[in-house]
Amino acid sequence: MTQTDTRVGSASAGPAPGPARPFWTSRRRDQLTGFVFIAPQLLGSVVFVILPLILVFWYSLHEWNVLAGTFDFVGTENYQGLADDPNLGAVLRATGLFSIGLVVFNLGLALLLAVLLNQRLRGTIVFRTLFFSPVVVSLVAWTIVWGFLLQDNGGINGLLDTIGVDGPNWLRGEGTAMVSVIVVQVFKNVGLNMVLFLAALQGVPADLYEAAEVDGASRMRQFWRITVPLISPTILLTSIITVVGSLQVFAQIAVLTQGGPGTSTTVLVYYLYQQAFQFHHFGYGATLSILLFVIVLALTVLQWQMRKRWVFHES
Amino acid sequence: MRAGKALRGVAVALTGALALTACGGGGEAADSGPAKLRMTVWSANEAHLKLFNEIADEYRKSHPDVAEIKFDPLPFDTYTTTLTTQIAGGNAPDLAWVFENSAPDFVASGALLPLDDTLKKAEGYQYEDISPATLKLWQNDGKLYAYPFSTSPFGVFVNTDMLKKAGQKTPAELIAAGQWTWDNALTTAAATAANSGKAGLVIRDFDYKGWDNLSTFWTGWGAQAWSEDGKTCGFNSPEMVDAMTTLHKATFTQKALPGPGTTADFFAGDSAMTITQISRASLLKDGGFGWDLVPLPAGPKGDYAVVGQAGLGVLKKSPHAKQAADFLAFFTNPTNSAKLAQFFPAPRQSQLTAETLAKTNPKLKPEQLQKVVIDGITNGVVKPNHSGQAELSQQVRAGLDPLWQPNADVKVVLDGVCAKIQPLLAK
Amino acid sequence: MNRDLSRRTKLVLYGVLLVLAIPFVFPTWWMVTSSLKPVSDIFAFPPKLLPTNPQIDAYQRVFELQPFGQQYLNSLYIALVVTVGTMAVAALAGYAFARIRFRGQNVLFLVVLAGLLIPSEVTIVPLFQMFFKLGLVNTHWPLILVPIFGAPSVLATFIMRQFFISLPDELEEAARVDGLGRFATFWRIALPLSRPALGAVAIFTFLHSWNLYLEPIVFLSSPEKFTLPQALTQFVDAYGGPMWDVQMAAASMTALPVLVVFVIAQKQFVEGLAHTGLKG
Repeated sequence: MTQTDTRVGSASAGPAPGPARPFWTSRRRDQLTGFVFIAPQLLGSVVFVILPLILVFWYSLHEWNVLAGTFDFVGTENYQGLADDPNLGAVLRATGLFSIGLVVFNLGLALLLAVLLNQRLRGTIVFRTLFFSPVVVSLVAWTIVWGFLLQDNGGINGLLDTIGVDGPNWLRGEGTAMVSVIVVQVFKNVGLNMVLFLAALQGVPADLYEAAEVDGASRMRQFWRITVPLISPTILLTSIITVVGSLQVFAQIAVLTQGGPGTSTTVLVYYLYQQAFQFHHFGYGATLSILLFVIVLALTVLQWQMRKRWVFHES
Repeated sequence: MRAGKALRGVAVALTGALALTACGGGGEAADSGPAKLRMTVWSANEAHLKLFNEIADEYRKSHPDVAEIKFDPLPFDTYTTTLTTQIAGGNAPDLAWVFENSAPDFVASGALLPLDDTLKKAEGYQYEDISPATLKLWQNDGKLYAYPFSTSPFGVFVNTDMLKKAGQKTPAELIAAGQWTWDNALTTAAATAANSGKAGLVIRDFDYKGWDNLSTFWTGWGAQAWSEDGKTCGFNSPEMVDAMTTLHKATFTQKALPGPGTTADFFAGDSAMTITQISRASLLKDGGFGWDLVPLPAGPKGDYAVVGQAGLGVLKKSPHAKQAADFLAFFTNPTNSAKLAQFFPAPRQSQLTAETLAKTNPKLKPEQLQKVVIDGITNGVVKPNHSGQAELSQQVRAGLDPLWQPNADVKVVLDGVCAKIQPLLAK
Repeated sequence: MNRDLSRRTKLVLYGVLLVLAIPFVFPTWWMVTSSLKPVSDIFAFPPKLLPTNPQIDAYQRVFELQPFGQQYLNSLYIALVVTVGTMAVAALAGYAFARIRFRGQNVLFLVVLAGLLIPSEVTIVPLFQMFFKLGLVNTHWPLILVPIFGAPSVLATFIMRQFFISLPDELEEAARVDGLGRFATFWRIALPLSRPALGAVAIFTFLHSWNLYLEPIVFLSSPEKFTLPQALTQFVDAYGGPMWDVQMAAASMTALPVLVVFVIAQKQFVEGLAHTGLKG
């Protein structure tokens, strides 16, 4: 009798009456299905993300001399070392400058391109392809080519030379190196954000603009009062992704400047790599990893909280 | 709840299965079978590897307990990092080449196996033949931890065709007249560069990053990166300030050296001269431009020589450490040393004669070999080395970066370098 | 803004677009033309826009210096396997998080989301040790398993979840009335509808795997096993100096096929991305 009960649909969500309550209600079966569905992703996250993170935290509590083969527990000494590290201030500054520069430039350019491509022009598809093309080119290939172009006697200065401008030694000047790395990274990825903004722009109902036009609002006003609020969810999400991404930029710096000149392009993730893989302070490198994780987490939570204030909701 | 338990059960089974398959195929677990040895090297040069494999094959004929000897080239400019990362990850090789600038770290760390006994006891090894000066860097507390299989002096390769076209006296002529000094060298380089439109003098592998190669320059001024005991910074000494000021002028005013960010490869014909180790002679193409190899020019403090060294060591943690050490002894015995000498000048005194070297270095003439190689090895100063090398090197590099601008204040920058590294040197 | 524009505005807009396009296109142009020049021409100053004597010598050397064909295949098959695997894992997980109610799902979702915040440089050393203990170093397994089940696939799950959330409830109701179980509902109703989102996932995932740089360097040591980004950095002479023409040739061969596919399929590409539900 109970068997047939459980076969019946979801009408009776609660336990069926009777002396023996069936375990596998359809609700429970559904829940099990849910767990099975998420199992691969969840297990994977535990094994490949959480577990390494715990291990990294464990390493950060040790002084690990790879060559001597010693692995000594030192408690919070590495964390105190963060406070004493003379380089950390410069690293955090470089990281901040890099991220802010990148996010502002990236989002600004993406929005600009999206707005331009949203106009009634023939052939915007061609331009869309051109602007998106760096996204599909291999990162290392893109960086190597730019590194090569940015040399003092490379293509960019050559181009500038033809219009009579003496280009600086891009990768060797403290300010210009940072600008170069930002530019290389932005041009690689801005196409992605551009496409997202474009989709969002196309989702803005045309009649809103028509009404504003009738009211005599200028284009600029329309942009700020209509467009931006309505695409603000997209702006927020791309901003979160771009900020998180900016804190993980590694390959470009490794290939183009190796953190130099001086320490001007040594951002946190590169500094971590130096400490762990070049100087073999694996324990301290682990500590820096935890610091990076905390910063990323904090920034993401912050941005997510801001959505209540900055994102326009239809309701 | 049951589903959770079921899932956990699945997880355990999966991991178990993975572990089982891994043990079957996997890492270097206890093996009673023939050993497989791996030596990390930084040269992917085909000729080098061919020679190594020949020596390895020879060894295996008389040692059937060694199934395979693999020479594993790691990228040159990240060699030490890659090697240490392998060790950190538990994937250490059995033997490894070691750069002279990381020798203190490796030698003092206890990561390498002491080699004295194995080498001294090896038949026909002639341990006493090894020049003591070359061993200094690789010894600690009286034991030898790595064998300096290559002691390679720096010399100046000159594109004589380019110099003649620019109407400059060749170094050979200057040496004959006793005028091969840095002043003259720089003037010649600048003039040739101006005439040919190519670069003047290139300090190879420097590229405004590998600063330890500048020791081939500043030693002529009696300057050092740090004191003999490694505890005091030498960058802001008067000798170093002198040397660096000359270098700065030579680069930015005289244009004798190419500026930062300009690539010029001497062996491709892009520069008039280059300072590099003689092993690079293999890069010279037959039938290319006319060239000469001369010793380093004399500095204000007179003649000098600088050498780079490469050591070969056995990793103590290797499960086949004893066999690896045995192979090392074979690899570096007198016969094989002579073979290797065509690329890697050996520390064996009996083999440091012009005739021996000439046999295996057909491209170089006896006088070149005597003046640059033999005299260099005997008298040369080793490139800068220190414990904690990686971090120290990076700090120096970052500290020197401001120097490579046209308007740099040499003294201020060098003071800055010392400020940065003094705490590290004191450790 | 879709009002008709004056001629002058159109011209200005075209001009601006052309100028803006230069930094996007120039590097790719330079890469291809440099691969056809001898090394000395590459650094000629003033630089030449077009090769004077095009030669394919560098392309031949790419294959001589490394098992480039094998490396190309490696990158390709790994990226394909990872893409298909990720699509499966993410679709399942995304669907479940979106449409099935089960206990602790919000907490579990946050656990999974953590993967988005952790850079790979942070986890690479423990991951290396794990794979080494399993004897899987210098195989492609780390490059396949970690992206499919670990951090990189979390974005995919997020995207799929956003999409499935946006499906109307009536669809599921109808399916249930028809007697379909949960899996059948997923497989026959929800999944086919999610094509645009799946497309976006496929694109992101393929590109991510194709461009992986740090992981192959850490895990792989035999040239036959290398992937393309890793191989690109290996075209150096015996002492570490880059062989520019060869590198440009290899880079061109890496980038061009993907570019060509993109140009042909770009409508789907771009629309798939726009439908990721990232609009909020």
